[in-house]
Amino acid sequence: MDLETKIHYPLVVTGLEVGYPDAPPLLTNVSFSVAEGEIFGLLGPSGCGKSTLLRHLVGLEPAKTGKIELFGQNLWAHDGAYLDRIRRKFGVMYQGGALFGDLNLIDNVSLPLIEFTDLPQGAIKAAAQLKLALVGLTGFEYYLPASLSGGMQKRAAIARALALEPGLLFLDEPSAGLDPVTSSELDNLIMTLARNLSLSFVIVTHELHSIMATLDRAILLDKGKKGIAAMGTPHFLAHESDSPEAAIFFRREESLLAPGKNK
Amino acid sequence: MIESQNHSPFRIEPAEPGRFVLKGSLNAHVPSKVWDVFSKFPRGQVRLDLASISSLDLNGAAQLLWLRERLRRRGVAAEFTDPPGNLIPIWRLAVDTLGPPADPPPRPHFFERMGRIHSEVWADFLSMAAFLGELLSHLLGFLVRPWRLRWADTFFLIEQAVIDALPVTALVAFLVGLILAFQSAMFMRLFGVDIFVADLVGLALIRELGTLLTAIVLTGRSGSAFSAELGAMKANQEIDAFVTMGLSPSRDLVLPRVMALTMATPFLTILANFAGLLGGNVVMVTLGHPIIVFWEELSGHIDLSDVMTGLFKAFVFGFTVATIGCQRGLAAGNGPTAVGQATTHGVVTNIIVLAVLDSLFAILFYVANW
Repeated sequence: MDLETKIHYPLVVTGLEVGYPDAPPLLTNVSFSVAEGEIFGLLGPSGCGKSTLLRHLVGLEPAKTGKIELFGQNLWAHDGAYLDRIRRKFGVMYQGGALFGDLNLIDNVSLPLIEFTDLPQGAIKAAAQLKLALVGLTGFEYYLPASLSGGMQKRAAIARALALEPGLLFLDEPSAGLDPVTSSELDNLIMTLARNLSLSFVIVTHELHSIMATLDRAILLDKGKKGIAAMGTPHFLAHESDSPEAAIFFRREESLLAPGKNK
Repeated sequence: MIESQNHSPFRIEPAEPGRFVLKGSLNAHVPSKVWDVFSKFPRGQVRLDLASISSLDLNGAAQLLWLRERLRRRGVAAEFTDPPGNLIPIWRLAVDTLGPPADPPPRPHFFERMGRIHSEVWADFLSMAAFLGELLSHLLGFLVRPWRLRWADTFFLIEQAVIDALPVTALVAFLVGLILAFQSAMFMRLFGVDIFVADLVGLALIRELGTLLTAIVLTGRSGSAFSAELGAMKANQEIDAFVTMGLSPSRDLVLPRVMALTMATPFLTILANFAGLLGGNVVMVTLGHPIIVFWEELSGHIDLSDVMTGLFKAFVFGFTVATIGCQRGLAAGNGPTAVGQATTHGVVTNIIVLAVLDSLFAILFYVANW
């Protein structure tokens, strides 16, 4: 049973100090956990340390103090092969997609499968094609990333992050730079994946529509407070939280969406 | 995916003829040889019973669908019975999502590819000619109104491209002079004419090698840097921003670079020549000839026309290296690989053009008897 509880929280962060070495910390005492199948948001204004926090979580930048547990394993306990093994258990979609420019889409998605599994070539192709179909890119398998639109590149990047069937996916601003239709398609995709594959998501986002529609829970980070200003469901953060930062964040976003503004 | 379930290894157990029961976790870590059971399956029908598998993910489902397609192509119809209830959503998702196998686009016919290459080379030649024409018109503009050149940029580029290249050029030239003198001295000594090593090294360096060496160092150092800089600017849409502001990339970005290299390469060449001669001198001194003998011998056989032909070539080479480097950068495509390709193209084109130009100059100077 103890094992069960651990496994039901793919990501547990305790007392994390966010920042780069030789610089004052951006955020202190950051603690939260993400449950299996949960879509969790990291919200906050620009420059508050969201991206740096994400770099700690995905194992690119060692955290100053505090603990990050991924699937019950302490991320920064060792480096080298240990860290690589944990890294293979989650997927990351970077803001610009970060697809390999000289590989077509199917090769981009196949790459982790070729490197880390012993599947027959045809099965790898089928698996990669399935992931691309899942994100709505059927027919684009042999296109190079540069010949696709920004939204398509992001979807392809999600397909690549799904290649090894991770239990947890980190998405850095998935809806940035997308039109509302594409952006809501992406939201639907994220929800479908979370429900059908019990995938957990950690999403850095600004988009109020996406926040309200997709997130189960979120934390709001604040520069002034140097930490978590508020935590809860999007509905709670937007309407019930007594945190002034949450009020500002959500009111500003809402005022932009208020009807009749652009008459 | 659902890690809490048991992790029994995947296996395929034959039940009655034509029916197999699949057991265990079916995911990406299944060894590929388990599927070999079906490689020699005769035509007909096969039933795969999924009811006993303990876990399934999309990679596992993809393998089953791949197997079905492979068997279908061999005339075997594969049928699946549904997996346990909790795995049905994933299985249905995979079955409903995956279409027929996507085949790579067919490779174009040989003649089509040759035609494409031919038209690309021609287009490349045309764009180079257009670029050169535009640059020459800006150069004429510079001669009419020299104060319009971005002198601050030009001086900065001279510092970056030439002054910073002094140590490496001098070192390479020194060593080439040394090697040249050493190799020839070993042989000429047999005939007692090792005094002529001075002339050999001097002529070779001043007329040919000093210039060529400098141009090749500049190709590697500055030509490639120009390609990469302008290529990255193109990829970042900075060049577009330049054009929409009403500025001209060839006047404001290319011209300062071309002027910097054209003006400064002759000076770098003079330095390279001195360094090379110094290398030759070191060998002569170790062979027992006093320093004065080396320079005396040299001044007797090398005149101003030798020096001037070398410097004239340096002037042309500087122009060539900068022009080709910049043109390749501006012609780059989008994306990080395009910048790398542009840089490679720039360096390769430069080296080829330098070799061809040097040969043409050799013929020209021979005919003109310079």
